[in-house]
Amino acid sequence: MSGFLHYFLSAIDPTANLGFSRALPELMSATYVPWWLMYVVPVVIWFVPSLVCWLVYLVKPALIRRPLPAGEPRAEPFVSVVIAGRNEAASIGQAIRAALRCGYPHLEVIFVDDCSDDDSVAIARRAARSVTGSRSDTDRVRIFASPRRNGKASTLNIGIRMARGEFIAIIDADSAIQYGTMQHWLVPFADPRVGAVCANIRVLNSTASLLTRLQEIEYAMQFTVGRLGAARIGILPIIPGIGGLFKGEILRRVGGFDTGLGDDTDMTMKLRKQRWKLDMSIDAIVWTIVPETRQHLWRQRMRWERNMVKIRLSKHRDQFLLGRYGLANAFVALQLLFIRLTLPWMGLIGLLFITVVYGPLTVPRLLTDVYCIYLIFLLVKSLIARDLAHTPQPTNFWLLFVFPFYRLMLRVPVMYAQFCELFRIGAKHPYVPDHIWQEIPWW
Amino acid sequence: MIMIDTFRVKPDGTADERRLELLRRIAEMGGKITPQANPGAEHGYEYALPCNPASDLQFLARRDYLEQRFFDRVSLCPSCASHHLNVREICPGCRHARLANEGLMHHFRCGYVSIMSEFAIAADGSRICPKCNGRLHHLGTEYDRLGKAFVCRQCGLITENPPVEAVCLACGAHTPAEDMVNADVFSYVLTSLGSAAIRRGTLTDREDELLFIADAPIYRPAVILEFLDYEMKRLRHCNTEFSLLLAETSCKTADDEKASLTSWLTRLRQCLRDVDLMGQLADGVFLVILPQVKREAAEGLRQSILAEWGPRLPFTLSTIEITEPRSLTQILAHRGAVREAA
Repeated sequence: MSGFLHYFLSAIDPTANLGFSRALPELMSATYVPWWLMYVVPVVIWFVPSLVCWLVYLVKPALIRRPLPAGEPRAEPFVSVVIAGRNEAASIGQAIRAALRCGYPHLEVIFVDDCSDDDSVAIARRAARSVTGSRSDTDRVRIFASPRRNGKASTLNIGIRMARGEFIAIIDADSAIQYGTMQHWLVPFADPRVGAVCANIRVLNSTASLLTRLQEIEYAMQFTVGRLGAARIGILPIIPGIGGLFKGEILRRVGGFDTGLGDDTDMTMKLRKQRWKLDMSIDAIVWTIVPETRQHLWRQRMRWERNMVKIRLSKHRDQFLLGRYGLANAFVALQLLFIRLTLPWMGLIGLLFITVVYGPLTVPRLLTDVYCIYLIFLLVKSLIARDLAHTPQPTNFWLLFVFPFYRLMLRVPVMYAQFCELFRIGAKHPYVPDHIWQEIPWW
Repeated sequence: MIMIDTFRVKPDGTADERRLELLRRIAEMGGKITPQANPGAEHGYEYALPCNPASDLQFLARRDYLEQRFFDRVSLCPSCASHHLNVREICPGCRHARLANEGLMHHFRCGYVSIMSEFAIAADGSRICPKCNGRLHHLGTEYDRLGKAFVCRQCGLITENPPVEAVCLACGAHTPAEDMVNADVFSYVLTSLGSAAIRRGTLTDREDELLFIADAPIYRPAVILEFLDYEMKRLRHCNTEFSLLLAETSCKTADDEKASLTSWLTRLRQCLRDVDLMGQLADGVFLVILPQVKREAAEGLRQSILAEWGPRLPFTLSTIEITEPRSLTQILAHRGAVREAA
């Protein structure tokens, strides 16, 4: 056992091996690893876009962080903020108050309750009253209590039908719009080809637990910087349901969201297929509450992964046809297919293969080398995230050493969900009510 | 809090006679006067009396010649106090009153939600979804109704809970429902004090009538409440705790029962110390303030009264020790006497 441990630790012992500097040539010279697969592909896909994005930001910041329009103030368009929620009594009051007080006057908030069992509606009305002073609906807040549970997509559609805005912002009931966000959120719409803009999602409860701190780092690196780079080169894969601003006419024309899971992914795909440009505003900040326990986090990630497989690989599988929806869409589809589905399974199968062929001690040695390389990327990318999005906090940088293990831990539910979804095991999901599930044609 | 100044008012003779006449008229009407609806009246109600007696009725009620009972609440225009208001729901967006109450429909298959009129009716009677062109045959399995919503015919806005606004037909002012002024309308019932005043032919014949209810050595509600308030102040400033003895009875109506009750109250008064204060809170509810008496002593007093009179006593007695300032409602809440006392 001690021999094994010594062997394992020797990979990160700087005095013995000079740590990181040893890892790369060792991997490249290893006969059992296709080094380009372990090194070049992640770098190209995961690291280089962020680095390029940051370098561009240093040279020409306005390309990355779009400034508010200068000169005479223009007419501000009317924005409807649609919030759908079920049993969100703990957070809905904050979401409504934050939206109403976000510093944008031409705005209405529509909260649609999906037949909650708790006091969501009463709390929402109280929150609205605390700002507007009126017990009933006003021109700034309207609340609709659905008499039957219909799932998130249909609940959002009620809000969209009620919305009057030229633009419609979709946020979660456990999210909060930061003051001043709306002005920045609207900036990309100066380009008439832009159909939707995703916000910069920040973690509200980052200090709640170790998991939430790690998620804050993940959100900053993966979601903020990753999506920012993707948006600038036209391959933004999603407008998240946590914070997305859409042109109202588009949402109305497509008839709102389709029922079932993955409403945000589905809408993004629809917009991409219609050749609308999707953008991201890094200064449009929407705070959200992330899962605090492992169980909740696993459930969330399993749901996301199942949506990915259902929506991207099943419902919108025609996006893989190169000539039909353009090169960018095909690239986004292939990229997601490769990074989120193929690569992890190849990694797992490869490790099993190496274990069998080259012996069990090869795998920890290999993983240690990969960990060292990953850590270098992480450090640079977190510095980029810090510069662009002001997260992670400097006090949380030590968590970068833990972060690879966090990502590895998330691989378990993600790959399990992929396996279940690909082989149609336990396809029914409790998030979708039975009467809706039975009618959905594409599941 | 009761205004003690009201007991020092010496109304002039003419007003006194007018109010006495009012009491007589009420007695002739069976001891009770109820407002009648009349759109031309100031607040939409008037009393079946030759002149407008509202201020006199309130004056007499304040002095316990009449008992004031809630009858109705009238909404008034805050600009001109007119009750001629057109109250209706309006669109929260354009403030227009042209709202239609329509059902929202939800197609399960594609999730489309809209007002019912947007779903066209096919030849076979089913409806057609404008989003996916699917046929909606079966309510509950293919589609559902999401309740009713108000649709503004002017601007198209949909709302479930539209604001209510009143337009004054007299001055034209538009007022949100929550800003409207309310006025309470009361009916009035002749009290024993009022009956005694009619018999005597004067309102303020004896000075002590300002303090005591007729024919009994107990203070009127306004006075005992003033004393209770005073004891609360003493408790707050001097920390002098006290107790209350609450006597409740169901004998309220018949005259012979009232006479018997007066006799019992007189005997109860004789059991008390000179410093104890006894008064009426409401019909059938009497309160004795026992200054600087703890609960044990008050309970001893209650037990001795019960032991002396036994089951003949027409009251149910209970004691309450007051160790911290409280309102009368809080004090009486657990006795179930709040409504009558109020």
